[in-house]
Amino acid sequence: MNNLIRGRPIAEFRRIIQDPVLFIGLILVVVFIIVAILSPIYMMVEESLTEKGQELFDRYLNSPVYRTIIRNTLEMGLIVAALGTTLGFLLAYIQVKVDVPFKRLMHITYLVPIISPPFAVATAVLLLFGRNGMISRGWFGIRYDIYGLDGLSLVLTLSYFTVAYMNLKGMMQALDPALDEAATNLGANKFRIFRTVTVPMLIPGIAGSFLLLFVEAIADLGNPLVMGGNYEVLSTRIYVSIVGLYNTTAAAVLSVILLVPSLLVFMVQRYWISRTSVVSVTGKPTGTPQQITHPLVRWLLFGAGLFVSLFILLIYGTIFAGAFTKILNINNDLTLDHFDFVINGYGSEAMKDTTKLAAIATPVAGLLGMVIAFLVVRKRFMGRAALDFATMLGIAVPGTIIGIGYLLVFNRPNEITLPLLGTITLIPKLTGGRAIFGGAGAIVLVFIVRSVPAALRSGVAALSQIDPSIEEASISLGADNIGTFRRITLPLIRPAFFSGLVYAFARSMTTISAIIFLTTSRTKIMTHQILNEVENGRYGNAFAYCVILIGIVLVAIVILSVAVGTTTGAEKTMEGGA
Amino acid sequence: MANDQVGSLILDNISKIFPQRDGQGEVRAVDDVSLAIYEGEFLTLLGPSGCGKTTTLRLISGFEMPSAGRILLDGKDISHRPPNKRDMAMVFQSYALFPHMTVFNNIAYGLRVQHVSRSEIKARVEKVLDLMSLPTLGERRPNELSGGQQQRVALARSLVVEPRVLLFDEPLSNLDAKLRVQMRSEIRNIQRRLNITSVYVTHDQVEAMALSDRVVVMNEGKIAQLGAPEEIYRHPQSRFVADFIGRANFLPVTVDSVTGERADITLLGQNMSSALTFDASAGNRLTAVLRPEALLLKNDPDLKQATVKQAMYLGASSEYIVDVDGQELIVVESDPSAEQIFREGQSVGISFVPETVHLLTQ
Ligand SMILES: Nc1ncnc2c1ncn2[C@@H]1O[C@H](COP(=O)(O)OP(=O)(O)OP(=O)(O)O)[C@@H](O)[C@H]1O
Ligand SMILES: [Mg+2]
Repeated sequence: MNNLIRGRPIAEFRRIIQDPVLFIGLILVVVFIIVAILSPIYMMVEESLTEKGQELFDRYLNSPVYRTIIRNTLEMGLIVAALGTTLGFLLAYIQVKVDVPFKRLMHITYLVPIISPPFAVATAVLLLFGRNGMISRGWFGIRYDIYGLDGLSLVLTLSYFTVAYMNLKGMMQALDPALDEAATNLGANKFRIFRTVTVPMLIPGIAGSFLLLFVEAIADLGNPLVMGGNYEVLSTRIYVSIVGLYNTTAAAVLSVILLVPSLLVFMVQRYWISRTSVVSVTGKPTGTPQQITHPLVRWLLFGAGLFVSLFILLIYGTIFAGAFTKILNINNDLTLDHFDFVINGYGSEAMKDTTKLAAIATPVAGLLGMVIAFLVVRKRFMGRAALDFATMLGIAVPGTIIGIGYLLVFNRPNEITLPLLGTITLIPKLTGGRAIFGGAGAIVLVFIVRSVPAALRSGVAALSQIDPSIEEASISLGADNIGTFRRITLPLIRPAFFSGLVYAFARSMTTISAIIFLTTSRTKIMTHQILNEVENGRYGNAFAYCVILIGIVLVAIVILSVAVGTTTGAEKTMEGGA
Repeated sequence: MANDQVGSLILDNISKIFPQRDGQGEVRAVDDVSLAIYEGEFLTLLGPSGCGKTTTLRLISGFEMPSAGRILLDGKDISHRPPNKRDMAMVFQSYALFPHMTVFNNIAYGLRVQHVSRSEIKARVEKVLDLMSLPTLGERRPNELSGGQQQRVALARSLVVEPRVLLFDEPLSNLDAKLRVQMRSEIRNIQRRLNITSVYVTHDQVEAMALSDRVVVMNEGKIAQLGAPEEIYRHPQSRFVADFIGRANFLPVTVDSVTGERADITLLGQNMSSALTFDASAGNRLTAVLRPEALLLKNDPDLKQATVKQAMYLGASSEYIVDVDGQELIVVESDPSAEQIFREGQSVGISFVPETVHLLTQ
């Protein structure tokens, strides 16, 4: 009897084998995960555990300098997570529960940081609030030293709060308004409802956002490079170890130290929060949420929401202004020189290469995300949870770590020597060159690895909403798994597919930490070029890069929405029909 | 009609074991079920929630693989054939219409999968739309249809591929009571007309009785009884079946004597004999099953006397709970004319129709 139960996953596995296309899909996914995610992480950990590495562990963990760096990293992560989650919660609450003007417009400005090229926000904040800041010095006459924890917290919060905002907004909207109504019926006032119903129901969302922001913040490389000043964190130290000292082992050791809190948080997120989040998201809330009507509270919240919107506009406005002026705040003459530099000059290669590589990675990442989501949600087989977990590692693990892992794995061809066949190249050298198999392959792979997790999550969310009997109906009518996926599943999760693609493209275009070690003089990537310009103080060029990058992403979104579509077709006629 | 008495779809000692959802232990959802379904037959799986009806249906359709046993269709073992190669079409409780396709495309789906020619698809879909009285709705989307229409489309979509076997999982449970009765007779008529072997899952015994050639009553993963509706109602083989199909009073009786296949008993002060379906001898304690409508109430002092504990007037009938020697019995009087209405607390004579008495071992 017991072996019957144990036999069950095997029976499921047999079913998967019976459908060859599905089986091949599964194999490809597994190979992808092993080659692109697990082996780089493994190699990096291995490198850190060499004799030399162990010595370094000893040295770093006992040195006051490094202890400060570790403490800084955690401190910054906690502050950004707390600030970002609070901000996200506040803005989501205003959107869902308070009736204020310009809601829709404010919402759009909150989404803008999704496309934030690294360094753009930090550089703009420096120009506005730094020692010679247009606002701090120009308006208030203060020479404010913004470098360090305060500036870092500001730019990181600004760059990442959108994740918390969207998370919490979605959850608040899904909360059954009947809960509010019940509490009101029982005599609770609005503040009491907020305290006793809204917040507790959202605890999983709040905790989830907090952890996510923490991981993002400690992994971030671009902002600390520009804003950190003397406040050093692990990611910048790792960068210096490789780029400045060419010490891969030291970088690997520091990476493992950074990996520990990231992975810990990731696991807590998965196993604790996902277990306890028995939120009554009923799917079809009836009625509309109760709105806050108290005039003072309303206007205060409106003021806060508007302030954030304007602040974001100010930052992005500065980026634009900087791109079109000679030297913003010093010589405000309008010019197109910076654009000329990027489009026709030195930057054109990076622009074309980056776009091309991102365009290759995007469809692969989007489809891969949907296929893995399908396998994870709909199929039962051994290692289903492991598949999901391993895929998510692509984003849970800081980008610098992925980058170093890739250096270690792909900087040489991976060969295997077999007794009779001799040496076979399993994976050619993927770094260094410009052609995909000549070297840019590693970069494309990194783009994919970093983008698949988001596509997976949105795919999983969408699939769990679809009654499995819809797919079963298709199969019972004679369609095979692939036909069903193509004709039924994919159209029904089209919005998730679309957002997965958009995210993949935006992420690929803006990622820096994971690819900064993989670019060479032959493969130029825009984000790396931006860093060079910022480091050399040529802000105008950097801003022009950013504006063009944002433009490319926006154009891509339009192209994707036309090519893929943003709706399932099920909702279309709800307006038109009947 | 049905029944050339050769099982065309055979379940041979089928079991299905699930690991418990919390990972501890196991659930025997289907426990060693054997069943032969005849060509053209309408067979219903009936039972309380969780008894394994859906699982049995999903084993037949191939969405679940049996833990043990075989499934045969026309003599061929199809136990491991994938569901899309089984030539069976399933009608789901939630209808499972493809929300992004029009009614026409929903129905045409199975034909397109089979690469049927465009003109033939058009003809066949239109024919089945006609059959289901849906002719003008082809261009609508599922969310623009009423529940009853959605149900018809779901049935049409399965019928159009002319499957070897039609499977239904509680298809009517989302409809309101009136529509349910109407769809019930439509399903029955169409099944008769097309003569498609059908397996139908429900927990509504009236639906099962109304639709089926034969009913399988299931309990805890096992077949409790299999037979024609009338047979199951008249001669339940266990207390569970008697209680689940309709309502029943259970009265303890002692066998006075046995002659041939019949037992003489005394029931409610009346001497009578009743057919035996099992071995029994004088002195054995048995249970008599009496349906509420087989009990008669009458103002007659010569009869055994009962006290009316509760009276409910239901229009077409009256229902009473009466107390006889400390045991409560349900009585349904189907012609509640004025002189036949009894009040609570009143004493009344009770009798029964002897032919309807059915004996059980316990
Ligand atoms: N996938 C599964 N995993 C674990 N247990 C399951 C699974 N599917 C069904 N079961 C269990 O098997 C038993 C039979 O379930 P089944 O769905 O067949 O019942 P049912 O007779 O259709 O009930 P209902 O009338 O409520 O639909 C139940 O105890 C159920 O919890
Ligand atoms: Mg069921």
